[in-house]
Amino acid sequence: MMEVIKPGLETCVQDYPGRIGYWNQGFPPSGPMDSWSFRLANLLVGNEAGAAALECQFMGPTLKFQRDAVVAVCGADMQAKLDGEPMAQWESVAVKAGQVLETSFSTAGARTYIAVAGGIATEPWLGSRSTFHQAGVGGMDGHALAAGQVVPVAGAAGTPGKRVKEDRRPLFSADKTWQIEVVPGPNDDWIDEAGQQRFLSSDWKLSARSNRTGFRLDGPEWTFTDKAYNKAPEHGAEPSNIIDHGYPLGAINLGGQTPIILVNDGPSMGGFINPYTVPSAAFWKLAQAKPGDIFRFTSVTVEQAQSMARELTSICSASSIE
Amino acid sequence: MIYEEPRFLPGGDRYMLIELGNEMNLELNFIAQGLATAITENNTKGIVETAPCFASMLVHYEPDEIGFDDLKKEMTSLLGSLGPSTDIELDSRLFYFPAVYLDPWTKECVQDYCEKVTPKTPDPEFVVEQSGLKDVEQLVRVHSGTEYWVAALGFWPGLPFMMPLDPRCMLTAPKYNPPRTWTPQGTIGMGGASTAIYPVATPGGYQIFARTPVPIWDTEKRFPQFEDSICLFQAGDRVKFVPCTVEEFEHVEAEVEAGTYLINVVEYQKFSVRNYTDWISSIDASQRF
Repeated sequence: MMEVIKPGLETCVQDYPGRIGYWNQGFPPSGPMDSWSFRLANLLVGNEAGAAALECQFMGPTLKFQRDAVVAVCGADMQAKLDGEPMAQWESVAVKAGQVLETSFSTAGARTYIAVAGGIATEPWLGSRSTFHQAGVGGMDGHALAAGQVVPVAGAAGTPGKRVKEDRRPLFSADKTWQIEVVPGPNDDWIDEAGQQRFLSSDWKLSARSNRTGFRLDGPEWTFTDKAYNKAPEHGAEPSNIIDHGYPLGAINLGGQTPIILVNDGPSMGGFINPYTVPSAAFWKLAQAKPGDIFRFTSVTVEQAQSMARELTSICSASSIE
Repeated sequence: MIYEEPRFLPGGDRYMLIELGNEMNLELNFIAQGLATAITENNTKGIVETAPCFASMLVHYEPDEIGFDDLKKEMTSLLGSLGPSTDIELDSRLFYFPAVYLDPWTKECVQDYCEKVTPKTPDPEFVVEQSGLKDVEQLVRVHSGTEYWVAALGFWPGLPFMMPLDPRCMLTAPKYNPPRTWTPQGTIGMGGASTAIYPVATPGGYQIFARTPVPIWDTEKRFPQFEDSICLFQAGDRVKFVPCTVEEFEHVEAEVEAGTYLINVVEYQKFSVRNYTDWISSIDASQRF
């Protein structure tokens, strides 16, 4: 059990891969945005890679442990301290009952994961413990942690002193610029050649009006092919309008002229085109970017995106722990 | 049109969008829903889930179990096995939903958008203009003059994507540019030719001009219709909006709040595609109410 002394900016319970199987009813998967750091945090404390743990955004929580525990902090550096003493990240640490884990603003990256041996034991909802804030379901009462709450943890022994190998940790951008892979499609043929080149050669700034449903990007104008103008009226007359269709997770969704990357809590359907899709293995970079950071997009094929995913899965395994 | 060959479009490493046509009609929706059902019945290897909509179906697949090209083959073969939709007869529930048209709440939301995001023609007037109607009173008559077919659920938990069954009530309008950041719960709006009800306060892109107090999703399952699912609707349901006053809205809202509201749904009807298409071809679709 952990008592929430300070909740942080938006700390929530997530599990991996989240609430799968309800896309056709409009339920997003939720789950950790940086599943790389998340899975390694769980493996460090001896959990299954997908066990429920905490995701902290920009500023982490202060937690008091009511029982002895083994804990790991991975992801963005939020200057974790245990009873005021700096605590190692990417490493499993023994915590005594009564000790306080304190985190603060992230200095590098945006999201930090706190895993506890045994995993967080909130009540699953539709098969997952992941929090879907905007609908108020999953996690702790459906929302981010609040001061005074007690977060239940399933009892389990963990081994302190385990570390993630240096070369198996995600490397965060040092200059606020991120190279993000995209797969063209499903609707890349609605964008003209100049528009496609502009998309791949421009700097896109992550807007502060972003959250776990969507990452808004500021950048140049989009231009379209004939297809976007000459179409049946039931699409809607604006060039970015299409007859409502299913959205892939990671789609770069073009509402008018505003591209929004649909992330873990995003909508499953709608009436705007999706010219590009960010593949699953690049999500951790989105997770670790801060508003104001620059995204540059690189085109990859479906097969390349799938091999990136396989590589990430192999990194998120016991072989990365020493 | 319905494409002779469906288009198989990639969505990153785990999704494929199967586009079946580029218009809105019932037959395309039956193919999309039929394909989703066939996948479930066939238990196709490597498919995590599907999301059928008006004229397309999204597949979420596990690339370690099935590659993009093999998935394409599987889908082509399943599509070929679907029978003609003309013989379909299915149970279809009909929901009666009280709705305040030209209501104060969506008006306020549009005003807020105009002040904070970008100015635009108020939504009811805009739809009137785009659809060649006389005035907003006709918009109310036409929009409430048909049953709506629930083609899919998506966007947000429980949100129905619906098409008007009476072609004389088909309206079209572009979607917001850029989308709204909020929409009042229960708002009724349309974009393209689709009508939706917003289950909770969410962002949105449709033109909005009415609001209903009836809950369409309920995590606490306070009404019997939510016993099996927290979403009220399923594909193949129909909805009829019944224009009401603000006073009637507030009366229903209070009953919903108290848990005593009786959701008005009838379950004695079958929807026959043959009867429907016969009827469509017998009427003059260019007429307006």
